[in-house]
Amino acid sequence: MLEIFAYDFMQKAFLAGITLAVIIPCIGVIIVLRRLPMIGDALAHTSLAGVAAGLLLGINPVAGAIVVSMAAALCIEGIRKKLPKYAELSIAVTMSAGIGLAGILSGFTSGSGSFNSFLFGSIVSIDSFELALVIATSLVVLIVFLLLYKELFYVALDESSARISGVPVGFVNAVFTLLTAACVSIASRTVGALIVSSLMVIPVTCAMQFAKSYRQTVIFSVLFAVCFTIAGLFLSFYLDLRPGATIVLTGCVVLIAILITRNSKRKLG
Amino acid sequence: MHRLGAAVVMKLSLTLIFSAFLCACAVPASTTAVVRDKPVIYASFYPVYDFAKKAAGDFAEVRCFIPDGAEPHDWEPSPRDIAGLMGADLFLYAGMGFEHWVDSVLSGLGQDAPPAVETSLAIQALLASPDDGREHDGHHIHDDHDHHDSHVWLSPRLAKLQFAAVCEALKEIDPKNAGSYDEALKKHLAEFDKLDDEFKALSLLPKKVIVVTHEAFGYLCRDYGLEQISIAGYSPEDEPGPARMAQVTRLARENGVTVVFYEELSSAKIARTVAAEIGAKTLPLSPLEGLTDEERENGDDYFSVMRKNHAALKEALS
Repeated sequence: MLEIFAYDFMQKAFLAGITLAVIIPCIGVIIVLRRLPMIGDALAHTSLAGVAAGLLLGINPVAGAIVVSMAAALCIEGIRKKLPKYAELSIAVTMSAGIGLAGILSGFTSGSGSFNSFLFGSIVSIDSFELALVIATSLVVLIVFLLLYKELFYVALDESSARISGVPVGFVNAVFTLLTAACVSIASRTVGALIVSSLMVIPVTCAMQFAKSYRQTVIFSVLFAVCFTIAGLFLSFYLDLRPGATIVLTGCVVLIAILITRNSKRKLG
Repeated sequence: MHRLGAAVVMKLSLTLIFSAFLCACAVPASTTAVVRDKPVIYASFYPVYDFAKKAAGDFAEVRCFIPDGAEPHDWEPSPRDIAGLMGADLFLYAGMGFEHWVDSVLSGLGQDAPPAVETSLAIQALLASPDDGREHDGHHIHDDHDHHDSHVWLSPRLAKLQFAAVCEALKEIDPKNAGSYDEALKKHLAEFDKLDDEFKALSLLPKKVIVVTHEAFGYLCRDYGLEQISIAGYSPEDEPGPARMAQVTRLARENGVTVVFYEELSSAKIARTVAAEIGAKTLPLSPLEGLTDEERENGDDYFSVMRKNHAALKEALS
């Protein structure tokens, strides 16, 4: 057996990392189609307020993050409805409010050590409870995503024609927003709040270079994300790098490589 | 319509500014100078604060700059804290780069800055001298770090010098009570020596290696013949990478470590992960950067917390 798998904490890291790599791109595909790639970033930053609140109240910070980022997600949807032409504005406003709240609350937490670990994640020190939380949340997200597979695609692509053909747009949007919030919160524990949104967007961008359909985009995105996670964990273990950041940078490097080779092929052809 | 909107915005902003001003007035102004007969001394954080309180007795009012329970490595003073510092007669800090904000705060205050004393100057001189009484035997598990460890107070032998520096500074600003500060110095030096003797006994125990989360115990280890393996770096905020975690578990196994130490003011997660990996248990070991709520309720001080540390080390080393 390879040395990397001899450690209990690495086994947990792989398990949590791969689980997240399956669900995060599923959410990512819809987010990219809706042209709201920054929503993940906004929710992740807002979830930091929940982390701080959780630490302050003595409840599990991941649970706190889930509650607050769900509230923030509903906020974004609410503002978006009020200002339909300025969807990005709702994201910026919510994100600012969340970061402000996180900044104030984290000032009151004693021992901000655990707060900081949410910025870049701490995938190598996940305890059993958090692993269970990651797996349970991921299962829920995956099941709901598969159940609403077609509706989500339809709404993301063209909201008004989806509404005309009888898709309950409001409901689908609300559910999806909640899924995103849950997903982002648990991921902030592992890869960190600052980089979780790149894990949503980069695999999808890679997949879109090859995929010919919605289904293919989803499947390729998941494959890319799983590969990035495994490669990133290996690299960070043997080169002594931060795991979360390594996973994301692996993805960036692959994306750039794909873009360059495809560009040069196009020129040649 | 448009003008009406502008008027509403104007009124709103004015109300906001006015209410912020009202709030400011309503907060009790503890920082403004009241008539006082005692010098006011600001100590940067817990060990310095405790030393200053012990040295000052009833002759000075000692305030702690960094609130208890805050993690001092990444603490930043608020505008209110700085205003308070302006009215102080003396500012004591540990130095050696521990309080990274000191230089900018003091230079920002300029003429209004109180006299500031870095309480570790004598220790720095001692450490810089070629013969610093350091025992050079024993192997070093990782001495590839050139960073400064600034946690000098964790070695009773060096803490004694820091305490003396605090007394000296007090004598300087309050010469009429110099006799009382000398008395406090004498009384407490005996207590530091007693603590030193107790820690010396640790070197008789069979094991020499301790695993800690944050590399704070270098001087303690140095003075009592121990070795520390730190999971993270010099700041408890550092998250170790997986390679470091693997290396630590290997070293801990090789050295028969049965206890992994964590700090109560920081997250114990990493310590728990390593402990689970090697089948060890976790115990708190305080770097004395602040007291926990519980310690404060129990009326703990430098000496009582150091004795708790001593007991924990004894358990880990025997």
